[in-house]
Amino acid sequence: MNGETVAGQAAVQPAPRRKRSGIADFWAQYRRRPYGLVGLVMLAMYIAVALAAPLLTPYDPRKTEFFLADRLAAPIWARFIIPRFRNAPPTSRYTIHPDQWKVERQERASLSFEEAGDRGETAVIRFEPSVEGGGGARSELSWKVHYGFNPPNTFEGKVTYRVEAPPDGMTRLSLVIVDPEGKEYDIWGTAVYGEQDWTTAALDSRDLQMKTRLNMTIFDDPAKVIFSTKGDYRLVLKASSESPSAEAKLFLAPAKFNILGILHGLLGADHMGADLWAQLVYGARISLIIGISAAVIGVALGTTIGIISGFLGGPVDEFLMRVADVFLSVPTLPVLIILSAFLGKNMWNIVLLVAAFSWMGSSRVVRSQTLSLKERAFVEAAKAAGASDAYIMVVHILPNVLPLVVANMVLMMPVAILYEASLSFLGLGDPRIPTWGRMLQNARAFGAFTELAWWWLVPPGLAITLLSLSFTFIGNTVNEVLNPRYRERS
Amino acid sequence: MALLEVKDLKMYYRTLRGQVKAVDCVSFEIEKGKALGIAGESGCGKSSMAITVLRLLPSNGHILGGEVRMDGLDLLSMSEEAFRKAIRWSRISMIFQGAMNALNPVHRVGNQIVEAILTHEDVSRQEAVERARRLLDMVGISPRRFNDYPHEFSGGMKQRAIIAMALACNPDLVIADEPTTALDVMVQAQVLRAIQDLREKLALSMMLITHDLSVIAQTCDDVAIMYAGKIVEYGTATEVYKKPLHPYSMGLVSAFPNIAAEKSPVRSVPGFPPNLVSPPEGCRFHPRCPLADDKCKTEEPASVEVGGNHHSVACHKVDVTAGGIDIWVQ
Amino acid sequence: MGFRTYLIRRIVYALIVLFVILTFNFAVFRLMPGDAEKMIIDPRFSPEARMALRKQFGLDDPPLVQYWKYITSLLRFDLGQSFATRRPVASELAERLPNTIVLFLTAFTLTMVIGTAVGVYAAQHRGTFAETFVTGAGLFTYAVPTFFFQLLLLMLFGYYIRIFPIHGTMSAPPPDGAFLRFLDRVHHLILPAGSNVIIGFGSWALYTRNTMLEALGQDYIITARAKGLPRREILYHHALRSVLPPIVTLIFLSLPGMVTGAVITETIFSWHGVGRYLMDAVLQQDYPAAQGAFYLIALAVIISNFMADLVYGLVDPRIRVGAGERR
Ligand SMILES: Nc1ncnc2c1ncn2[C@@H]1O[C@H](COP(=O)(O)OP(=O)(O)OP(=O)(O)O)[C@@H](O)[C@H]1O
Ligand code: SF4
Ligand SMILES: [Mg+2]
Repeated sequence: MNGETVAGQAAVQPAPRRKRSGIADFWAQYRRRPYGLVGLVMLAMYIAVALAAPLLTPYDPRKTEFFLADRLAAPIWARFIIPRFRNAPPTSRYTIHPDQWKVERQERASLSFEEAGDRGETAVIRFEPSVEGGGGARSELSWKVHYGFNPPNTFEGKVTYRVEAPPDGMTRLSLVIVDPEGKEYDIWGTAVYGEQDWTTAALDSRDLQMKTRLNMTIFDDPAKVIFSTKGDYRLVLKASSESPSAEAKLFLAPAKFNILGILHGLLGADHMGADLWAQLVYGARISLIIGISAAVIGVALGTTIGIISGFLGGPVDEFLMRVADVFLSVPTLPVLIILSAFLGKNMWNIVLLVAAFSWMGSSRVVRSQTLSLKERAFVEAAKAAGASDAYIMVVHILPNVLPLVVANMVLMMPVAILYEASLSFLGLGDPRIPTWGRMLQNARAFGAFTELAWWWLVPPGLAITLLSLSFTFIGNTVNEVLNPRYRERS
Repeated sequence: MALLEVKDLKMYYRTLRGQVKAVDCVSFEIEKGKALGIAGESGCGKSSMAITVLRLLPSNGHILGGEVRMDGLDLLSMSEEAFRKAIRWSRISMIFQGAMNALNPVHRVGNQIVEAILTHEDVSRQEAVERARRLLDMVGISPRRFNDYPHEFSGGMKQRAIIAMALACNPDLVIADEPTTALDVMVQAQVLRAIQDLREKLALSMMLITHDLSVIAQTCDDVAIMYAGKIVEYGTATEVYKKPLHPYSMGLVSAFPNIAAEKSPVRSVPGFPPNLVSPPEGCRFHPRCPLADDKCKTEEPASVEVGGNHHSVACHKVDVTAGGIDIWVQ
Repeated sequence: MGFRTYLIRRIVYALIVLFVILTFNFAVFRLMPGDAEKMIIDPRFSPEARMALRKQFGLDDPPLVQYWKYITSLLRFDLGQSFATRRPVASELAERLPNTIVLFLTAFTLTMVIGTAVGVYAAQHRGTFAETFVTGAGLFTYAVPTFFFQLLLLMLFGYYIRIFPIHGTMSAPPPDGAFLRFLDRVHHLILPAGSNVIIGFGSWALYTRNTMLEALGQDYIITARAKGLPRREILYHHALRSVLPPIVTLIFLSLPGMVTGAVITETIFSWHGVGRYLMDAVLQQDYPAAQGAFYLIALAVIISNFMADLVYGLVDPRIRVGAGERR
């Protein structure tokens, strides 16, 4: 339609020159195209997210922050839309400070508090020396916690302690969970002979050790069994000592007790309990960096080759274009797979590889444009004035092919992003950085499917899709404005 | 009764900027065996008029009124299917402007002619091929080239092949839209001669569209001068050429001082043709007319017959122009 | 340039690309930093065996000799032994090739047929829903990563609504009877092939529609209309026929893309084919296997490129008879 109108006008007045200079003019034309605007808004959102990533999430996926929640935890909002998550637990983390322990029972033992250097305040249980036939000393401390959700899958804890005792002394330590009905679960225990420096014992409901201690099989889940009712639970620390020769002391630093949530954050957690929202948000950075740098490098390469080829012509042209042909007929993805496997899984390797296989298109376009520019008067004039080839290429040709180059570059970005995503998805990405492709790979490899965890799968895929779409919209619009001749007919 | 009768024909293109009034109340007739030349500046609606007659409008072209009759048969009210079968090519054929691309590059030239014959006539393929060969021969192409592809033909040969194709179904009327513009001068002359010969040999009726008044003067019986979607002057070729009465025609004719002289492209009348979306009020020519006065700016001149021989002119100042002064001398 | 010259040029060109691929293979697998030995000889072999193999593979020969031997052995499809299975790579590939071909041909043919048909339809029905649909589908092809779409389908149809198998080329054990076995294979084929078709046909349709519209705007179409040809005739015999050369070329030009796309598809659907073999080999650092699979894929790409040239030459009379340059 548009073209016909222009034809109708052409007879009346000399056709207005479409290519005007200046950013303002460009913008005046650009803003009239809805797709271009939609693309810009979307891209702006991505850039904002990429820049503001640390503000959008407390976690940094580049550090190993595992088990923020249970493996494959669902998003918090799953509570409202998926029945099986209606009353699922979020993550609860408790630090039990020494003074929070409540004394339940003391036999020939006493509790006091003491500052212990960098450990801060510690609780100290003193056990009197044991007497012949009279047995040892014992102490029971308890800490109360309310639990009001469906059973969790996992709980974990840490007890940090030190023992001062004579070499013949034996100190026992154990943790018992008492459920609201009074049933006791002996989840952990240890015995210390003589003295022991600060030790942290980690206990985990997934460990076989705990399961055996609780007389469960490896298929049972202590967390599910223990926290199967709602109400007040008590964590009871039982300590006892048999120390014939002298008094024994047990020091307790703050202990930790965590119930890992089945619900977590905006997007849940991956197979390592790491935050998915953080990965998604930081992934925007990576994708933008990779997409933009690969496209810029690739198109810069293509432009250089295109200008040289078109301007110099002859055997140089023939050679460069044959090289381009060969690159075009090589199966890009397999080559990238092989090379990135050999060169090592590094982000910049991927950028360079993608760039190395994406210059051919722009070099052809630039070449043909250069060919026609070469015939123009100003180039002839420059030649006659004795300008060197290099000078003409940089000063006269380059500015004139720039509009093409810019559009090409924008259109190259989604391609680069997709390549990176494919490689990451195939497990060839940089393992140290969170990318959307890797999220998808993890989702596939580590159970998103069996758990039907679509919230793990859909966001990164959608993020890639919309980002490529926004680049496509922008690129096409830039093309329409700057290179009307190449406009696709509607 | 005239072979082709066009009356008050109106065809506008709808565009985003409004309606392009490409053909606006155009009337003319073509008698059997006669040739009508149509001349005018680029963009004045010549081609539009031609494709309106053949009902080959693009999707935004709309016929808004008027009549086209062939031997009294109303062509505009016929169904598309009937028109296609009964009129296109079998009665009216057309040689298109820029005919270099009028042949399909993927089909053999001969077959493209045969296809036209087989569409309209109940003959065996054998016969059609025979006729196509004869036609090629007639326009000066060796029948041996029957199986060539268009890209193997030169420009002039293509154009002659198209002429042969236009004659394939013995049409009553051939519309030739600038049949020579795409060709170089030597070839132009050849092709024109071929057309002229055939016209004489076959007593063809023709509508010849061209920029070039001298071609019309050589080839045609009648001439219609078009300006901005309207016919401003209409009459026999000799009369209009010798004694044009519309200021615009006078300008065109004076651009060709001598028929025999070296051909040159139309040296246009000073000024630019108007925008057909919103043409000037009154006489459409008034912004460029040296005789224009207030009446011309407001009142549209009706076409009036002057003298005999259906010489008609649409101008308020016929009395002045008929005086024989050269209004275009500065 | 006659067709023969054209053909010879394309053959020479294909050979050049083949040569480049072979050299690339050699360079990557033999000349990479580190000892070439570990790329070719299983490090688990005993030192004596390794020495013997070194000799057998000619690793101590000068590079040019190695290069020559390498190229000739690859051309003979002597691709070495897989580290993982200790079987000849060539026979492992031969086992998988049919699976890949089945998947590939199904997806490819359907994409092509559906895409072209939809494109032609949309070109005929401008301004209707068909047009919006084609544009949308084209955009879909362009923006949605294939593997994402395939993962979605897999989750939806393999796990939510369990109507399709989630992996493999056939059930284990396969059902009895030839017909049931055939159905079982088709059942396994639907997701991998279908996802490729859905992702791919859009750009096809869009391309077909655009070239059709371009053709329909050509002068020779107006001539055909003026000749009074029926609509169908104009559409198929003139418009479609004249866009056939670019479309057919593009069909064949898109072969390489689909060949390489097979790597991802096969990985996702655990399809027992060449692409997945390549991925497995790369991830397990089974170098002979990776090299063999890559060589096979590259060969397929070269052949399909050559076929594109060949078919283009055959469909376009400007090349088949007389002057004309490609593209
Ligand atoms: N499809 C169309 N849509 C809109 N306007 C059109 C269309 N085709 C032609 N026009 C306009 O209609 C007017 C008449 O065009 P037409 O092609 O009939 O002129 P012409 O006299 O044949 O010119 P030329 O001598 O250059 O061939 C022109 O202003 C042209 O721009
Ligand atoms: S009507 Fe008036 S303006 Fe029009 S041509 Fe005649 S004199 Fe000129
Ligand atoms: Mg015209």
